[in-house]
Amino acid sequence: MKRSFRIISIYTADVSGVCSALYELGGMVVIHDPSGCNSTYNTHDETRWYDQDSLIFISGLSQIDAIMGNDDKLIHDVVTAARELRPRFIALVRSPIPYMNGTDFEGIARLIETETGIPTFFIPTNGMHDYVIGAGEALAEIARRFVLPSSEKMVRSVNLLGVTPLDFAGKGSVDSLHRILEEGGWTVRSCWAMGDDLDALAQAGTAQVNLVVSSVGLAAAKVLRERFGTPYVVGTPIGAFTDVLMSALERAAGTGENEVSCIDRPQFPDGKTVTLIGEPVTMGSLASAIAQEYRCNAKVLCPLELHDGLLAPGDLVIEGEEGAEAALQRAEIVVADPIYRLICPEGVEFHDLPHEAFSGRCYQKTMKNLMELFH
Amino acid sequence: MIKIAVYGKGGIGKSTTVSNIAAALAEQGLTVMQIGCDPKADSTMYLRGGVPMPTVLDLIRQKKNDFTLEDMVRKGYRGVLCVEAGGPTPGMGCAGRGIIAALEKLEEKGAYEVYQPDVVLYDVLGDVVCGGFSMPMRSGYADQVFVLTSGENMAIYAAANIAMAVENFKGRGYAALGGFILNRRNVKNEEEKAAELAANFQSSIIGTLNRSELVAEAEEQGKTLLEAFPDSPMAEEYRALARTMLGICKGEVKVC
Repeated sequence: MKRSFRIISIYTADVSGVCSALYELGGMVVIHDPSGCNSTYNTHDETRWYDQDSLIFISGLSQIDAIMGNDDKLIHDVVTAARELRPRFIALVRSPIPYMNGTDFEGIARLIETETGIPTFFIPTNGMHDYVIGAGEALAEIARRFVLPSSEKMVRSVNLLGVTPLDFAGKGSVDSLHRILEEGGWTVRSCWAMGDDLDALAQAGTAQVNLVVSSVGLAAAKVLRERFGTPYVVGTPIGAFTDVLMSALERAAGTGENEVSCIDRPQFPDGKTVTLIGEPVTMGSLASAIAQEYRCNAKVLCPLELHDGLLAPGDLVIEGEEGAEAALQRAEIVVADPIYRLICPEGVEFHDLPHEAFSGRCYQKTMKNLMELFH
Repeated sequence: MIKIAVYGKGGIGKSTTVSNIAAALAEQGLTVMQIGCDPKADSTMYLRGGVPMPTVLDLIRQKKNDFTLEDMVRKGYRGVLCVEAGGPTPGMGCAGRGIIAALEKLEEKGAYEVYQPDVVLYDVLGDVVCGGFSMPMRSGYADQVFVLTSGENMAIYAAANIAMAVENFKGRGYAALGGFILNRRNVKNEEEKAAELAANFQSSIIGTLNRSELVAEAEEQGKTLLEAFPDSPMAEEYRALARTMLGICKGEVKVC
């Protein structure tokens, strides 16, 4: 029963992660699926669905098309729609059925690109991984294919990598990120991927440093490092941790070395421990801010797949509901999505921090802007 | 790295031929990896003394991801690196998906980077019955597909189907058709029928293998013919075929 969930939710899956990451970039995103992945996405995972247009499609894969390997229908439908809509790119997203029957998306993408002349790529999701994997790979593909070659760096400029509503749903989050960086004397070259279009992202090679504000941005940061030599710093500018992060940005600009700052956390020999649950970069950064602000210990429980090198000593990877329950047994103060209240032991001091990627729209009205938590 | 897929009707002698080609290429000093893509998991058997080996899918089933690259690979005659993809219990599961999972696992564990084979040979089950069995000819896998046939009608029919699949997938960046190999069964008009098949696909018969009792005799000993009877005329036929296939892959030999 280790990986079963009886009470709490599961995190948004990789398919929705791709859609969320590419939502604002003017591309056409096609989930190859009967219809199920799309309703999960637009019902639970996408806060922009009713306010902002995007070209998110479902292929309407039927049983007979899956059995017969009728790729031509998918190709025809995508080509027809693309000729009418002229998207900047076409992203094909794999759902569990085509994953199981081995649909050749790379070949299909090549055919569609040849027929339409529109850059077409495939994101190898299967609906069985977390959103951080899908969103991360989608942004990495943008970094591989669309960022223009550049040999010049713009001094004190930075890209923000890993910004999606799944982790930054609080009102004004993107504005706060921009403001904090600008107050620190940095120019934000591009934000991946909220509030900026593909043309802005294409200039990302000129930034001096990349700031990875969630684990979603890590894969793209590695691609940009490889392509342009741009160093990256991992952390979210929250409360007192912002100064630590700003110093790391300065160092990275000077030395060209990467830094994972969200694991830089003060330890105190006594006192209570605050336990945070969620995405490792945002929660690690918040843990550092809490530790500094309140001079207490803070640790992160990470329920997501991407955590290598992103956790501080004492942080824990938790698997499934049982893992979360066990890790919470001795918790004193918990900061997490309100759904986690349901599996906390009695007597725990619980502070709500809704997380879009976990509870969807359930707590949308009380969603907090992480960067303004201490204001 | 040269990657070659060999297809053909079930029972036509693919594994025997591929194993002898692997041995012939290894004799030239090349590092050769042979990957059996058939649930029967007997492709590389005669390179390894006729004994079974754990398949990639067996390892995944038993150990999930808790095994190493070395667990999946056995060294056979003349150092040929042997891998068997394996498959589900007959009559159950999905063999095609199994091939995909096995090939992906090999890649994930770094098989091509660690062993750096000069030549990879994919020995693929009979017909391209589903997406899984077209995997070895997809982009990133084989560069050339060779189809083994005899003059028997069913073998010709299967070979035509495979060549048709290669033709259909051209726009997807799949492997090219390297040519047909005639494995003689001594049936009536065998040469003509095979030549007609090749001509239909603007290709040619790039090599011919005569029927030899020594092949079965070698396999009785649990060996490839090249190991058991290295000086026989049949061994020379395999060596000649291996040279031609290599030449086609390197662009030194033109097909039709």
